[in-house]
Amino acid sequence: MTTTYYDSDKARKPVASEVSNLWAHRGLIRLIVTRDLTVRYKRSTLGIWWTLLNPLLTTGVMWIVFGNFFRFEMDSDIPYVVYLLSGILLITYFAQAVMASGSAIVNSAGILTKVYVPPEVFSVSAAIAAAVNFMISLAILLVIQLMMGVGIPWTVVLVPIPVVAMLALTAGLGLLIAAAAVHFFDVLDLTGVAVQLISYLTPTFYPLSIIPDSYLWIIHLNPLYSYLTVFRELVYGNAGAELWMWAYMFGSAVVVLIVGVYVFSRSWRRLVILL
Amino acid sequence: MTDPAIWASDIRLEYRISRSNIGSIKEFAIKTVKRQMKYESLWALDGVSFEVAKGEVFGIIGPNGAGKSTLMKIMARVLPPTKGRMVVRGSVAPMIELGAGFNNELTGYENIVMYGTLLGRTPDRMRDRASEIAEWADLTEFIDVPLRSYSSGMLARLAFAVATDIEPDVLVVDEVLSVGDAAFQIRSQERMKNLIERGASVVIVSHNLGTVAELADRAMWLDRGNIVMIGSPLEVIDAYKQTVDGGLA
Repeated sequence: MTTTYYDSDKARKPVASEVSNLWAHRGLIRLIVTRDLTVRYKRSTLGIWWTLLNPLLTTGVMWIVFGNFFRFEMDSDIPYVVYLLSGILLITYFAQAVMASGSAIVNSAGILTKVYVPPEVFSVSAAIAAAVNFMISLAILLVIQLMMGVGIPWTVVLVPIPVVAMLALTAGLGLLIAAAAVHFFDVLDLTGVAVQLISYLTPTFYPLSIIPDSYLWIIHLNPLYSYLTVFRELVYGNAGAELWMWAYMFGSAVVVLIVGVYVFSRSWRRLVILL
Repeated sequence: MTDPAIWASDIRLEYRISRSNIGSIKEFAIKTVKRQMKYESLWALDGVSFEVAKGEVFGIIGPNGAGKSTLMKIMARVLPPTKGRMVVRGSVAPMIELGAGFNNELTGYENIVMYGTLLGRTPDRMRDRASEIAEWADLTEFIDVPLRSYSSGMLARLAFAVATDIEPDVLVVDEVLSVGDAAFQIRSQERMKNLIERGASVVIVSHNLGTVAELADRAMWLDRGNIVMIGSPLEVIDAYKQTVDGGLA
């Protein structure tokens, strides 16, 4: 038993409670992550291979369209398919993590209204599952880099840094969305549209040089641009990651996570009754 | 005197029910602007105070909508009280709506581990106990089968077996004394009685007045969120029966 003393007056201290809750429930988090990763594909014949196949198919289609029909003048000598796949993988990770984390609490209403489990456990587990999924799918990017003669630089061992930053960012966003989604279910549909918009504002399939200078600030403002550039720098090198991008990546991750946890924590008392 | 196992002071719980029946942001925005958002406040519990001593069996009776289940959920930590304070000392085993979080795609074994962990036990402990739990529920040969091929009786047996595989300090029970077929009902009732006799503090909600009379040391009668009476089970049940009979006559 984890709880041996419960006092409703001391139920929640924003941020501190969440941190200790998550640590106390790490065993449960691991179970939920494994379940999410296996159950999703349990009834399909290809199983976990969909994790690899999904971004590969998307990349294939976009490579045909943008690598052959509309040819972009690339900024560097990195093969287009490597540039494209790295972008698609990271954006897919972001989209999956935000959507899964945002809907996790509404989807777990059946549990949360019957037994006591800190709700943030479900949001964070969903974000972790997406991160693990991403790390698995990274394998195909590395194989393609080898095939295209790009090689694999040593900095690839540092890839977990942007992955963890992204985990914090998506868990924070997920908690904000989850809090709103309890009130209005269609927040989740809205999130889908917002995620799509922000992924078009990230240079996944187009080079940054096609953006007119006067609009460049929009891309720079988009935190995902920083995440993607740092990730590309580490995974194949020479992507032009600057110091401010690292700072923006860490800064946005920390701020969004704390704001998300704080808002969620403050509103949970009123939310749980609505579930 | 030692500290009580459960100490509830002036517990109130408000459900805000929107009469405007909205589910989307668009409707919410329009109605807020038009000032048509109407909330109705419904106090499911309206100032409930009581104590349950260590080792005591405390029965709660009352008609539907009295707030019994809501009170259970506050004791089980699922709902925070809107006002008032609830203190529960010791590990709590809530036996409310068993089987939360069962997943049809996972096997019986995986569900035993998951459900037990959701109830606050460690995954390691559940892995150790899984085969014994399955054996008690007569489900040993189905332990590696996905839950979607279980019958509803098998599901109820599995949930009961996991939920009762513990020695809690406080047991909160909501009408789950009997599940499954006749033979299993007898075994499950025995198991519940064993748990109670082991010396845990027990809060038991039941429509079955006989059960409360038999098991409880003290009883509380709840109606529309208020305490009508607390006392010895027979007294409370008698008084409760009189109003029910009076209402019928």
